Amino acid sequence: MKKIGKKAIVALLSTTLILTGCGGGNKDGKKEDTKNVDEAEKNKFSTIVENDEKAIEGGTLQAVIATESAFKGVFSNEFQEDAFDSQLNDIALGALFTTDADFNITNDGAASLELDKEAKKATIKINDNVKWSDGEPLKAEDLIYSYEVIGHKDYTGVRYNADMTNIIGMEEYHNGKADTISGIKTISDKEIEISFEEVSPSLLVAGGGIWNSAMPKHYLKDVAIKDLQSSDKIRKNPVGFGPFVITNVVPGESIEYLPNEYYYKGKPKLDKIILNRAIPTAVVEGLKGGKYDVAILMPTEIYPTYADLENVTVLGREDFAYSYLGFKQGKWDSEKDEVVTDPKAKMADVKLRQAMGYAIDKKAIGQEYYSNLRVEATSLIPQLFKDFQNDDIKGFPYDPEKAEKLLDEAGYKDVDGDGIREDKDGKPLEIKFLSRSNGEEAEALSEYMMQEWEAIGLKVTLSSGRLVEFNSFYDKIKADDPDVDVYFGAWSVGSDPTPTGLYGRDAAFNYTRFASKELDTLLKNIASSKSFDLEYKNNAFKEWQEYMMDEAVVVPMLNYYEVLPVNKRVKGLDWSRGGTNSLSWEKIELTAEEPLK
Amino acid sequence: MWKTVLRRVLFMIPQLFILSILIFALAKLMPGDPFTGLITPDTDPKTIEALREAAGLNDSILVQYGRWITNAFKGDFGVSYTHKIAVSSIIGQRAGNTVFLSLFTIIMTYVIALPVGLLAGRYQNSIFDKIVVIYNYISYAVPTFVLGLVILFLFGYQLQWFPTSGSVDVGVTSGTFAYFMNKLYHLILPGLTGAILGTATTIQYLRNEVIDAKQQDFVKTARSKGVPVSKVYSRHIFRNSMLPITSNIGMELVALISGSIFIETIFAYPGIGQLFIQSIGSRDYSVITALVMLFGVITLIGTLVSDILMSVVDPRIRLD
Repeated sequence: MKKIGKKAIVALLSTTLILTGCGGGNKDGKKEDTKNVDEAEKNKFSTIVENDEKAIEGGTLQAVIATESAFKGVFSNEFQEDAFDSQLNDIALGALFTTDADFNITNDGAASLELDKEAKKATIKINDNVKWSDGEPLKAEDLIYSYEVIGHKDYTGVRYNADMTNIIGMEEYHNGKADTISGIKTISDKEIEISFEEVSPSLLVAGGGIWNSAMPKHYLKDVAIKDLQSSDKIRKNPVGFGPFVITNVVPGESIEYLPNEYYYKGKPKLDKIILNRAIPTAVVEGLKGGKYDVAILMPTEIYPTYADLENVTVLGREDFAYSYLGFKQGKWDSEKDEVVTDPKAKMADVKLRQAMGYAIDKKAIGQEYYSNLRVEATSLIPQLFKDFQNDDIKGFPYDPEKAEKLLDEAGYKDVDGDGIREDKDGKPLEIKFLSRSNGEEAEALSEYMMQEWEAIGLKVTLSSGRLVEFNSFYDKIKADDPDVDVYFGAWSVGSDPTPTGLYGRDAAFNYTRFASKELDTLLKNIASSKSFDLEYKNNAFKEWQEYMMDEAVVVPMLNYYEVLPVNKRVKGLDWSRGGTNSLSWEKIELTAEEPLK
Repeated sequence: MWKTVLRRVLFMIPQLFILSILIFALAKLMPGDPFTGLITPDTDPKTIEALREAAGLNDSILVQYGRWITNAFKGDFGVSYTHKIAVSSIIGQRAGNTVFLSLFTIIMTYVIALPVGLLAGRYQNSIFDKIVVIYNYISYAVPTFVLGLVILFLFGYQLQWFPTSGSVDVGVTSGTFAYFMNKLYHLILPGLTGAILGTATTIQYLRNEVIDAKQQDFVKTARSKGVPVSKVYSRHIFRNSMLPITSNIGMELVALISGSIFIETIFAYPGIGQLFIQSIGSRDYSVITALVMLFGVITLIGTLVSDILMSVVDPRIRLD
């Protein structure tokens, strides 16, 4: 979600793009093309580059990261906090586990994982070949050090969460009552054992509970934990076990990566990677002019400007994010730390919520506003989690007639004949809508949505009378501002789609403040140990999704795509999900001395 | 004069004190805080709350202000919430770039504007003058970001003569001559953009002053005494015409050191202006407050320098 919020400033530069006449023109043409796009079109993107040319020896890859702002450059998985740094780290730091396309851990990476469900213990074994970029072998103490740093009272990052406290002895360590974490044991130099309070299927998913990275203890142990984040050992000369090593950094501007000669999967094929940053419009020009080979985190808002370049292949894949309409149905009880649903809330009637969902043509929004790089979402599980998708769940397909019928049934009738429905008691009904001012389309989009609601007879007005910026938006929904009934939010879920943290009764991020006994049970089923059985798990997810749709707790709006423009001289690049979920940088080759123009 | 300077410097203390209260209060009044942007389903709200508590953001605003101002007096502006390094070092990194860019821009501006403005004034209504006037109107009217993008696309991406982003290439050893030249190379496009925009005002001022001065009695006197025309221009008119420029130079420096958000953004040049805007966006209080204080100090010093320069250039103006 953070990533989505940061895109706001793209608006300014996209406007300038049109002013200077650099490709703003074909935008309208694009919209026409997309009229007849059906479901089959969703997978129009490839995730692998095809290049049959003979590769040259080595070569320098010119990468660029598309951002308005200087990157922070926190080269540590334990400390980094944003999408940009996470991309930079991906090239150098390395991940412990490889996964299949559904993010289930497969045991062929830098380490393997074995879970003993009965004993509630996990054993992690390090692959013997894995070495840090300074030549030292990856050891058990390095794995443990990650936990010790994250759990430490002086730790300055944000990774200390429920996954960490699920480890036995973590809280005692965190509170300073113990010097070590009692639940983590060294079995040998290459093996550790972790004991958990509770085991859930999440533990077997990358990013789902077992830390997927390690810290070079031999290198970092002399730095006090409170100083780690700003230390040169992390900000300038990080040591990792990924395919490349960060050898030079100009803070906020550019990074030089050289091959990690100790990389456990063999020495990478490139001689060097130079990564610069540039504003998105400039990146488009650079792609055109053959200045860049790979453009990371390219905003999809300006997709039409780089969709059809002759020297560039645009790869694409489904993103982890979805946007949704949230209906405020209660308050947060900060004493008890749980949601209190108010049956008398303005949005308490399920039919009203459903009607608002059916009234919006999500497919059209994706086509008209986002060049089809956002598509109608039918559930609260992003489409890339194929296992949990279910064709029976249709979400809220555009059906204004059904919406009107639902409102009629629920008793929202137009009593005074002004075309606007009154509430069940015949009193005026005004629904307050909160929306963010992110991206150039935000204004038009919220106007469009309010018109659609008006068409079914609902008076919806903007809360605070205008779109609000990111911080105010979350301040308002977090504080359960009475001036907000409906809001247009988005979540980026990460590789573990378990929804408890977003919709559970004791989840602070449950911003709709809806909770019910049924929902509690359904969420518990997903996380229960029975869910180790895949069929049970899929079914639990399905039941939960059905419930969420029936109750219209939130209305899923759009799923996101992410794209990666790649110059046609690049060979061997694989952006598919699975593996280490990175770009497989070590396999990349080039087939020409300079990027093609 | 020194007495006045000292008085002015002493008077800066209460001014800065009031500024510090204002900026601190305004920064805290903004919705959200540095941790609002960190919410993802994987972060624990309790962790964020703990970080907030540890950062002292839950204390009353008076306590927070007291803590901040005491530390600021000791020269400690804290740690940036977003960049996670000391505020002084993040500002240091960026300020170097900005000062370098500003100096380059100012030098370029005057190298272009002084001769052009003087000649245009001297040969008023000539073809040269008309071209200059047209140039002035255009460069005055074109917004920074349009000019910046045009220059970037033309010289950076089409002709590929100059680098398109950053302040220096990665891998050049800091401190060497090659490093300096590389930095200079990166400066040319953003510097040129700033200079083209800066010349408009300067040329206009100078041209008008020269035209005015030509009608002045002292010029007529000099001419009637038989002083050669070129000497009249270089001695009498030039010095007088420089007055408004001089009074402006202090403030121009201030504006440049505060950075140019547009130029820095377009050329992905990490300077102060961009840092300021980003810090506001991410509610990086420690950087925002430190930067505003810095701008405050520079502005006060800038006006003082302007006044001193004025008294040097124009003997009629005395500081006391």
